[in-house]
Amino acid sequence: MLYACAAAIVAGLLQPHGSIGPMLLGSLLGIAVALAQSPGRQPYLDRCEQGAPLFGRELARAKALVPCIAAVVATAAYLAAQFAAGARDDGATLVVAPAAVVAATLTALSATIRHGWPRAFYVALAMATSIVAYALVAFGRSIPGELGFCALVSFFALRQYGEALARYDPVEGI
Amino acid sequence: MPLLRMRSATFAAFDASIGPISLEVSAGERLALPCASGREAAIVALLATGIAKASSGSVLVEDYDPRVQSVHCKRVAALVPHEPLDLNEAGFVRCIAYRAALWSVDGARALAHARLLLEKLDGMHEAFAFPLVAALIVEPKLVVLDRPQPAYAVQIADAVGTRAMLSTHASLVAARAFAA
Repeated sequence: MLYACAAAIVAGLLQPHGSIGPMLLGSLLGIAVALAQSPGRQPYLDRCEQGAPLFGRELARAKALVPCIAAVVATAAYLAAQFAAGARDDGATLVVAPAAVVAATLTALSATIRHGWPRAFYVALAMATSIVAYALVAFGRSIPGELGFCALVSFFALRQYGEALARYDPVEGI
Repeated sequence: MPLLRMRSATFAAFDASIGPISLEVSAGERLALPCASGREAAIVALLATGIAKASSGSVLVEDYDPRVQSVHCKRVAALVPHEPLDLNEAGFVRCIAYRAALWSVDGARALAHARLLLEKLDGMHEAFAFPLVAALIVEPKLVVLDRPQPAYAVQIADAVGTRAMLSTHASLVAARAFAA
């Protein structure tokens, strides 16, 4: 998370204007943190979670918390850097950027238990979510539209991740 | 009612098929299952604890089907993974606390139980004792061990006590150490 915040601060100082920076960089960082939760880094912890008496949706909510918090904190660091660099936006970015970042991060979680092209597909989908969210704000000029889109995507992404976890058979690497 | 029933259970892995496996383990019973390979032993252990779901045939953990009621299966059966767990004291305490939280077990009680079990497993290398202790603190009815070390067969059986135990092995020799 520290690296993500540091990267966001540097980017915020270099690109102090507009919402595209915090939305896209925040999404990229959220995707990276989500992918860092892929099984295999801590095999024993993975087995603990896989063997725990938790429903897929409960596990999904628990596993979504850290990458979403990390992504939002990094986005906040970016916005703080923008403010320090003299940007004086209307404050809409404060609302739309975290929403897009959370939606992209939750979409990327479904990539963590997949390999090959399905994994790449979900990562691409996560980035596309962020781009669509930006387009709704920049071209559609609709903040409620963007927020509604992100809320809808977040809901279905988390639900889909929970369903995938419930069906997942963790036998890779055996 | 058997705690674990497998009837012609198979698992279709990416490049090979495991099974068919048929077995029954009742309360208090111990079964050492020799498998064709380490991979098969590991996957059978995952099937027995409801972590992996059978591709065909049936697996029932206390009458619960992991494909439908995996949460109930995981309350009944606990897995002891094959890999040793290299932790220092602080790491072990965190591990126990984490498992206690996942299984909704009282943390302080779990840690006290863990320490008692570690004393009982004196003579067993900590790296092999930790996964076993971590599995036992959640009070499972069935303990499933993935390729446990034959050298520690007696200590493991002693620690598991009157609970049902299924151990999977990659060789007949290792299975015999646990069947004795």
